[in-house]
Amino acid sequence: MRRLAQTILLALLFSPLALAQGAGPSVEMAPAGITPVVRGKPGSVELDFRVKQGFHINSNHPNSPYLIPTILKLDPPTDIAVGAVDYPAGRNLSFAFAPDEKLNVYSGDFAVRVTVHPLHTVIPGKYNVRGQLRYQACDDRACYPPRNLPLYFEVQVKKAAARAHTRHSRQSPHIHN
Amino acid sequence: MSDSMHEQLKQSDGQVPPEDTQSAETAPPAYGPHARRNAAVIIVVVVAVAAMLIGGQYLVHRGERSGAVTAGGPKPGATAPDFALQSLNGNTVHLADFRGKAVLLNFWATWCEPCKLEMPWFVELEKQYGPQGLQVVGVAMDDSGKDTVAKFAKDMGVNYPVLLGKESVGDEYGGLEYLPTSFYIDRDGKVVARVFGLRSRSDIEDWVKEALSHGSNAAGN
Repeated sequence: MRRLAQTILLALLFSPLALAQGAGPSVEMAPAGITPVVRGKPGSVELDFRVKQGFHINSNHPNSPYLIPTILKLDPPTDIAVGAVDYPAGRNLSFAFAPDEKLNVYSGDFAVRVTVHPLHTVIPGKYNVRGQLRYQACDDRACYPPRNLPLYFEVQVKKAAARAHTRHSRQSPHIHN
Repeated sequence: MSDSMHEQLKQSDGQVPPEDTQSAETAPPAYGPHARRNAAVIIVVVVAVAAMLIGGQYLVHRGERSGAVTAGGPKPGATAPDFALQSLNGNTVHLADFRGKAVLLNFWATWCEPCKLEMPWFVELEKQYGPQGLQVVGVAMDDSGKDTVAKFAKDMGVNYPVLLGKESVGDEYGGLEYLPTSFYIDRDGKVVARVFGLRSRSDIEDWVKEALSHGSNAAGN
């Protein structure tokens, strides 16, 4: 039941995007929600993308140097660093236009995981991280010029939990029992 | 029961069962009013999603019928827009330079895999129909630079002129929403056919013959 509910939820998230799609290729991102992260510690954000049916885009590591890889570029606010971006492995597929070649592509749904690291100095609160996904799509008969999908996600920066020894913070550091 | 289990059950069923009931994994299926309510909610959601998707498809198809999604460029019978583009040799080449010949003007890019499939066909057609007046011209719509395009063309054994494309030229030829896009131009500079996407070699050859047979200097005229 829970899996069914998750599937329906995902369809709901993407369905308004599907309405906006035209005849060309498109990659859309599901709303990412607000990801809680602790100040001074790295946190992980998953960004869910969907390639329109009938199209594919190159993976982050396409099999040819001429092909344009899918790349996520982020422009985080000050005091929030972006660390590693983990791309999924693509699928090696052959197409009618290149039956002897295997192209490493994304199609359907795929997720990119981003590590964000709020610095110790950042003021707790909600922050927008903006960026874009650069991709180049093809179908069985044609390829489309590279496109940039603007995107953003939110992180809620919280203070780190108080340490156990702070119970005695009233005690002067100069007094030793 | 742990707090986390309580939390999970709260999320899934909306209420917390008594402490002494069976765990969620071994509990018998619920057939009460909550189950009926959940089923009704799911049915409503599925119907709503289906309606939105069907509505979206209708809007897309309506756009296609109205021509909002179709590709542009000079139509058959129109004069092909002239251009001045740099070749890989560094020369400036105009389309008008080929007046009197039938031109297969092919827009391509190094990142376009379907374009690669056509290139050996163009090489063969250039050899076969060149003596009759065919001129294949490739226009690379790349941002990757002259050296990359030159290496790619050499690797593909291209025997016809390759020009470095510009966005302004692409706009004059309909925006080039996708590649490959080819225009078959007769000896008078008029478009005979415009073709979007990969087609078969025999189709391409037919359009080449048609371009060669049109225009004031066509064989037999």
